[in-house]
Amino acid sequence: MALFEGVKILELGAGAAGPVATRYFADHGATVVRVESSKRPDFLRMVHFTPDNPHGLDGAPMFVLMNPNKRSVSVNMSLPEGVEVVRRLIDWADVVSENFSPKAMTKWGLDYESLRARKPELVMVSSCLFGQTGPQRMYPGFGGQGAAISGFNHLAGWPDREAIGPYGTITDSLSPRYVALLITGALLHRRRTGEGQYIDVSQIETAVYSLSEMMVRFSAEAEIVTRAGNRDENAAPHGVYPCRGEDRWIALAIWSNEEWRLLRRQMGDPPFGQEPRFDTLAGRLEHRDELDAYIGRFTSEHEPHELARTLQEAGIEAGAVQNFDDLLKDPQLAHRGHFQTLCHSKLGEMSFENYGIRLGDGPPEMRIPGPNLGEHNDEILGDLLGYTPEEIGQLVAAEVLV
Amino acid sequence: MFDGLRVLDLSEEPGWLTGKILGDLGADVVKVEPPGGDRVGRRGPFLAGQEDPERSLPWLALNTSKRGITLDCKKEDGQRLLRQLAAKFDVLLETFAPGQMARWGVGFEILRQANPRLVYCAVTPFGQTGPYSKWRAHDLVVTAMGGNVAVTGFPDRPPVRCTMPTAYFHAGPEAATGIAMALWAREETGRGQLVDVSMQECQLSTLMTGPGQYAQHHRLAGRNGAVLGRTREIWKARDGWVSFGLRGGQARIPNLVATVEYMAENDMAPEWLRKYDWSEYNHNTLSDAEIERLEGAFGAFFASKTRRELYEQAVERRIMLAPCNDAKEISEQPQLRFRELFISIEYPELGATLEHPVAFAKSSIGGIGIRSRAPRIGEHNAEIYAEIGIDAAELEALADQGVV
Repeated sequence: MALFEGVKILELGAGAAGPVATRYFADHGATVVRVESSKRPDFLRMVHFTPDNPHGLDGAPMFVLMNPNKRSVSVNMSLPEGVEVVRRLIDWADVVSENFSPKAMTKWGLDYESLRARKPELVMVSSCLFGQTGPQRMYPGFGGQGAAISGFNHLAGWPDREAIGPYGTITDSLSPRYVALLITGALLHRRRTGEGQYIDVSQIETAVYSLSEMMVRFSAEAEIVTRAGNRDENAAPHGVYPCRGEDRWIALAIWSNEEWRLLRRQMGDPPFGQEPRFDTLAGRLEHRDELDAYIGRFTSEHEPHELARTLQEAGIEAGAVQNFDDLLKDPQLAHRGHFQTLCHSKLGEMSFENYGIRLGDGPPEMRIPGPNLGEHNDEILGDLLGYTPEEIGQLVAAEVLV
Repeated sequence: MFDGLRVLDLSEEPGWLTGKILGDLGADVVKVEPPGGDRVGRRGPFLAGQEDPERSLPWLALNTSKRGITLDCKKEDGQRLLRQLAAKFDVLLETFAPGQMARWGVGFEILRQANPRLVYCAVTPFGQTGPYSKWRAHDLVVTAMGGNVAVTGFPDRPPVRCTMPTAYFHAGPEAATGIAMALWAREETGRGQLVDVSMQECQLSTLMTGPGQYAQHHRLAGRNGAVLGRTREIWKARDGWVSFGLRGGQARIPNLVATVEYMAENDMAPEWLRKYDWSEYNHNTLSDAEIERLEGAFGAFFASKTRRELYEQAVERRIMLAPCNDAKEISEQPQLRFRELFISIEYPELGATLEHPVAFAKSSIGGIGIRSRAPRIGEHNAEIYAEIGIDAAELEALADQGVV
């Protein structure tokens, strides 16, 4: 039996932060139902809303790839009948996960206080950018703003250039891991005690919490950690070096004097490397620009994957800077079954990704691609909620199911 | 949430956050270090610059809500003690190279015999098995091999990482989630299992389905610096950088309209911009000339204001603009202050009070947040070892032999 078989999750919201969190459950057998509508679709369905995309809201690869194994019902929540459908879905669900702005659920009468009165054992998680309380709770940013406010932009890149942040909006990939943990923890708590709970997650707070080291260093010494390229104060050389080919690079980190000797040997023990000023970490840190230039001349004669293998076999920490093409061919990711192919009704064969956890009892299972809008209306309303075909027809006619 | 759960945390730095998260959720987490403390992991910077493992700021930051014991896994007596301890815990967390624990006689297969309910979580750069499983990697090499570094940075510079270790930040809550999943499974099966976490694989979700999209269209993403997609995301304000997306879609259009209004009130919206029709705006279909014209107008306005002015107006007018904060600005951020994100912890023997982010969420039933400061070296040896019947005299003998 799949790990989360029988667990019922209702998802309201859009983008990455909320929906990525529920994938852990969907991929392990939970029933995850997404509510959205063509009147107000998930904005990720519109990322590829360009003239060369003939499939409209069902043709956005990012949405499809982020939401496998989920079911979609299209409900227009601006109509009271639509809110009633969602209320019945909440009666069905063990967990409600939503990432709307804080006022939305209250506006529909679906805030936790109202729902708890009806269903005390409900687990509900809200995960908007800034949390449910406070003077800036209605601030409307996306992940790009989350990365800026939580400090990650300031921390990535070069000191003489813009504060760019690591690629991808980091609060969108970081906060879902916390949300998935909290949902599982709350389900475990409910199983033991029967008690439900409401969890208020601020995406920005999950990011600042992750940066506890930076915040404690500031508190202790007023130190402001700032982006420093690829440097590290505990290792030298430590960086990204050019390799043979176009835009090819290798990452390399030397943590000890012994590793430095091993690297020197790999470079053919040139006289430059034997200079005593490089014998200690302090010396290598002091002269790192010179060292980096020197190592770059060595690495640029090699292909990155081959060189990384040679260096790792010699006991040196190194790895190719992998681009998206490399990732699809990476033998380690293939060994873990990271990419799984499924056929989407409109976009054809697509590579879906797993997350970083493998459980001894069995891997996650990729069953269906991210759903088309309203694809499971009949199944959800009919089979799960017991609406008759006539009632469903009336809801379609009244533009409730759109 | 995890009250009563017992976690034996043997992790080195990459796993500290996982143990901290479980401790901050109420679990009883016992941190295991080599005798004398983890000399490598308790790295600098140190409080007041004094090089002393008890003053390691990264250690103090990432080991809250844990108790601490010492144990030498390399000694046979240490291994025996570890086997006895593991029989009393629900979860074991470790970050050693694959196979290392087994070589010490304390691998999952051995420990589960005495404790079938044990959830065993191993966090490694690439996972327990497979062609790269023996490779060594810390943050830089993990993030490089996980695909994030190649696309971070500028076209005219080498790929670049984040200066704080995001490989550990992603793997931390991921591993905690894996542990929680195994605990859920245990409710049904009555037994624990291996939770094998790959830090490299955790990196891939930071790419926002980029590799899967590449498999469709075969166009490699480049390093676009401050540009996201086709338009600029990072802008120069008078005193630093702000983030603002010049992108369309239903959810963003009101903010574009509000920004132009704000600019117009400051006499910085040219007439064509004041008349701009945003209703059909689609950043995907703009011409290069149009992007240049729009970015010129918005950029000139942002450059005329301080980040604080811009952000205050952004909150007021619901504009999606934010300052690129540093640690000081985060510590003063009004919304985070209102929500009491920070807590002061006293360190009397160090003569210091340090402010920590207290939690990552709030629950209606409470129970999320730092419970105690990070332990001193071997601080809880007596009470923990007493649980497996080791008294003060025996503990002293073990200490003399360098086992604890």
